[in-house]
Amino acid sequence: MEFTLKIERYDPDTDQRRLQEFTVDAPETATLLDVLDVVKDTVDGSVTYRKSCRMAVCGSCGMRMDGAAVLACKTPMAPLAEAGRVPVISPMGNLPVIKDLVVDMAPFWDKFKAVKPWLEEDDAPPVKEWRVQQEELDRIMKEALCIQCGCCVSECNSMEADPDFLGPAALAKAQRFVGDVRDRDRTERLRTLNGPHGVWDCTRCYFCNQRCPKGVDPRDAIAKLGAEIYSEGMLSDKGARHAQVFDVSTRTTGYLLETALVPYTDPLKAMDVKFALNLARAGKVPNPLKPHRAKKLDEVRKLHKLLKTQEAAARDDRRAGVSIDREEPTE
Amino acid sequence: MVRHDVVVVGAGVAGMRAAIEASRYGADVGVVSKLHPTRSHSGAAEGGINAALGNASEDSPEQHTFFTVKGSDYLGDQDAIAVMCEEGPGDIYELEHMGCIFSRTPDGKIAQRPFGAGGAPRTCYAADITGHVLLHVLYEQLVKSEVTVYEEWFALDLVMDGERCVGLTAWDLVHGGVQGVEAGAVVLATGGLGRMYRGTTNAYACTGDGMSMAWRAGVPLKDMEFMQFHPTTLKANGVLITEGCRGEGGYLRNAEGDRFMFKYAPNAGELASRDVVSRSEQTEIDEGRGVDGCVLLDLTHLGAKKITTVLHGSRELAMDYAGVDPIEEPIPVRPGSHYHMGGVDTDVWGRTVMPGLYAAGECACVSVHGANRLGGNSLLETVVFGRRAGAAAAQDVRSNGSGGVFSPSAVRVAERRIAQLLYNFDGVRPHVIRERLADTMYENAGIFRTAEKLEQCATDIAELRERFRDGMGIVIQDKSRTFNSDLVQALELGSMLQMADCLVTGAVARTESRGAHSRLDHPDRDDENWLRHTLTTYDDGQVALDYKPVTITEFEPAVRTY
Amino acid sequence: MKSSYAYYPGCLASLSQKELDTSTRAIAEKLGFELVEIPGFTCCGAGDVHEARPEYYLHLNARILGQAEQLGQDTLLTICNVCTLNLRQADIKLKTDADLRERVNANLRDVGAASYEGGVEVRHLLWEIAEGDGYEKLKQIAEKPLTGVKIAPFYGCQILRPSKLLGFEDPDRPQSLERIIEACGAEPVDYPSKIKCCGFPIVLAREEVALGELIQPLAEAKDAGADAMVTPCPLCHLSLDAWQGKASREADMEFDLPIFHLAQLVGAAAGLTYDELLFKRHVTKTYPATDKIYAAGD
Repeated sequence: MEFTLKIERYDPDTDQRRLQEFTVDAPETATLLDVLDVVKDTVDGSVTYRKSCRMAVCGSCGMRMDGAAVLACKTPMAPLAEAGRVPVISPMGNLPVIKDLVVDMAPFWDKFKAVKPWLEEDDAPPVKEWRVQQEELDRIMKEALCIQCGCCVSECNSMEADPDFLGPAALAKAQRFVGDVRDRDRTERLRTLNGPHGVWDCTRCYFCNQRCPKGVDPRDAIAKLGAEIYSEGMLSDKGARHAQVFDVSTRTTGYLLETALVPYTDPLKAMDVKFALNLARAGKVPNPLKPHRAKKLDEVRKLHKLLKTQEAAARDDRRAGVSIDREEPTE
Repeated sequence: MVRHDVVVVGAGVAGMRAAIEASRYGADVGVVSKLHPTRSHSGAAEGGINAALGNASEDSPEQHTFFTVKGSDYLGDQDAIAVMCEEGPGDIYELEHMGCIFSRTPDGKIAQRPFGAGGAPRTCYAADITGHVLLHVLYEQLVKSEVTVYEEWFALDLVMDGERCVGLTAWDLVHGGVQGVEAGAVVLATGGLGRMYRGTTNAYACTGDGMSMAWRAGVPLKDMEFMQFHPTTLKANGVLITEGCRGEGGYLRNAEGDRFMFKYAPNAGELASRDVVSRSEQTEIDEGRGVDGCVLLDLTHLGAKKITTVLHGSRELAMDYAGVDPIEEPIPVRPGSHYHMGGVDTDVWGRTVMPGLYAAGECACVSVHGANRLGGNSLLETVVFGRRAGAAAAQDVRSNGSGGVFSPSAVRVAERRIAQLLYNFDGVRPHVIRERLADTMYENAGIFRTAEKLEQCATDIAELRERFRDGMGIVIQDKSRTFNSDLVQALELGSMLQMADCLVTGAVARTESRGAHSRLDHPDRDDENWLRHTLTTYDDGQVALDYKPVTITEFEPAVRTY
Repeated sequence: MKSSYAYYPGCLASLSQKELDTSTRAIAEKLGFELVEIPGFTCCGAGDVHEARPEYYLHLNARILGQAEQLGQDTLLTICNVCTLNLRQADIKLKTDADLRERVNANLRDVGAASYEGGVEVRHLLWEIAEGDGYEKLKQIAEKPLTGVKIAPFYGCQILRPSKLLGFEDPDRPQSLERIIEACGAEPVDYPSKIKCCGFPIVLAREEVALGELIQPLAEAKDAGADAMVTPCPLCHLSLDAWQGKASREADMEFDLPIFHLAQLVGAAAGLTYDELLFKRHVTKTYPATDKIYAAGD
């Protein structure tokens, strides 16, 4: 079968970028990686990309196809060829390009290392395994699927605007430990993540979930961290306070209490008079003294209270470590 | 030029485990790897890791030892196997404490599933992504240990001072240029060589580089002729479908729908040893009872719940690379080259005959797998002997100091060689030779071997090595020094050609059938002449053969049936 | 043809983005959609409650779905991306996990709220008029084509991604807004950031980051020659409209790009007036584009 694609070439020696079109023959089952291999073997050996396992587990071959990050080895090409599409293959975003489709992963790994990516437990020599219920481990199974390919980071909208944002991959890694009942460092981890460039930088664009080739759903992992932070009452960050306004106002009025949002999240912003006046002039500042109230509000209030109780009970269960115990030395 | 007490080459599970252990012993450790550690092929191991924890049934290290010895067709060294099986449980507990999310029994212990020819449910697992989980846990520990990792450095050659290994040269792939890596001791943990075969489960990176480095430096390689063919690989690209599928109760069927394995292994059926299952499948296919060159791995009766939880990864692979959802229909599978039992000859501490040089993992041959490895024993080998090699290397440095002088001329020689390769404009593209090699290995050094085929293979390899001319017979089109993967692939091809030569030379000589080495012209095991290890050594670029005895302690060789 | 919906305007359209609710009701009448009110609906919790208290979020949304079900409606019509994702995600969870649904329903019954049996589908207005009968109807009511007006479609995130929960169209190459723009007689303008984030969810907590995101679509649409931008989400609208001045100062560029709600665009093509569509409630003035629109119709 004939495949045509355009590859974004980047030559670091001359700092030149160009699009180069290739047409090659490959089997109908060919993936993007297979097609690139045929190009490299038989047309131009200087076309450069990373690869290794070709079975979507090593995470080497992240790149963009028509602007969307994919694993080349997991991307079948026949459907495109049949549709007459000529895809543009380019390097992943949010990372510096080294050559052609190869990016510098160093900033990626720096963020990985910044979340203290290892289990913290006591130093007692292991005599036996920790006793852990499967359901407890299932909580972190999705995050543990991560192969660190960088497809999520490539597309992260927040990271485009804040290159220091820890980003979806590192935060999913953090959640893998925060959610692990064996880890002793949970609170300290949450304190670190609840700060600048941390959890509340996420803009919820959901590109990470959309792109992840392994079903990790990094955005969901970030949300889990947010929930953990919130449940600890760690409200120092504006992001956590922003969430609190929604939480509280669903109870008090049933709706978002817009007039509380700015002053409570960021009191300094509330002083932005010009901005507020512009909003008021357009009729966008509701009367704070007569908030819009939902009907049947008592139902929601009771629900709010009931769930608080249930959430607290579940947290206590986990904290008490009911499902984890360590065997004593047998000798 | 960089310097460390201990330098580990390769950063899969064995390499990282060695580095972590050496670092625990207080050594300053560097890791040189052509891939970022988490890109290593250990991550593709799926089914699990064996250890006699006894969580799923009565079990003991002795049982584990016996079944491993039997599985090895009595070629495994029994002292080494005993070490692995006795120390295995401790290593599993340690991995669990490092954070490995092993699947659990209802009472919260590490769950264990049966694997082929194991005799008991002994395989610990993390769903069907055990290697991935282990690899990432060890990388976490490596990051914690603050070992220096030289990512994307391709190791070129060992450097010696007299008899002693004092380091190596490496090509810095990202920046270009040869780096000298001086070391008190070197641990090779570079993995397997399956890429020399067409139809392999192995990653592109599995090209036998470490073995060939050792071989060129005069270190003997052991039992190179033993290549394991895994019974369940996908037709399109050789991707592995775990033995765990059969461990969880999956069936193998032929075109007529029969569970044919009971014809060949009346007791164990689908859970016979891999060599037996692969031969049986190939026989079914050759005798016309296959489906389009495959047999069928049927999981449909296991139900969606089991498949989507503990076999989730296999389902995804089947859907992505075979277009089949195993919940709905069977997966067409066939045997494919998977694991190389042979490797750098070491003792139970990873020591080679060369002072200062150690090896562990698939690139080494201790030997614990003999003529056929049991499923679940390779990950175990990597952690047990990775740990041991790391410890031994660190202690070696402590007692022997730096050991010798690293001559800077080694770097200049390597630089010159790379320059010659890059500026050669006369020859063929590497893939021409690589594909020819893969074809002849598949055709002639596969599951069923004969003198005629093997000799054809040897002739082909000689011809290809002649064409390759140590790299001067091929053209590297990429002339740049930055991330030159064209160059690295050419160097890898050099490793594969040399290792193919060792493999086939050993196979031609071994006129018996044992484990994965199955000779149609010598169908029986011949303990009298061949209960011994093959050693292949370097002789002016060619392969010389030697032999050494097998260590037998407790279990006298017996007839092997399943 | 589908003609009656349980109508869920959500918070913003009920409050500061009132013009969206008003214009939605106005075009619904033209389209022949009967919008059935949900008495006692609340906020869906937005991304915030969803993140901070996932259990409470699930119950809030189950309650809304249950209320719609109780009205005998099988479709809940949304006009906000965030509401759409929140409600759809809750709906899918509850539909696929019977144990979970039972647990949630027990709690709902406990507080005297309607339980949810899984009989409702959540659909955004965009989807209802971008294809099928709704699209045919749209073409019929667009009597005053907005000839010569260049409109930049801005999708926002949570109507496209994650597509396994939304799934209306290809999240990387969406065409629904373009089709609607064309049906309205205007000309769609293409630009890369049309599927990216407007920054709204973090505009208060991380204003600098949010503005960095916001600048992209504004600058690109402007470059592409857009007279106005249209969005199906009132949160994107607020970001693009109310924060446009700040983005403009941050980027040191004059955008002056009017931002339309989807319902306003359709309403204008259907002959509804400037006042009926409450264009005056915008922070960024709409008249260069609205002048063109209302002139085009004359």
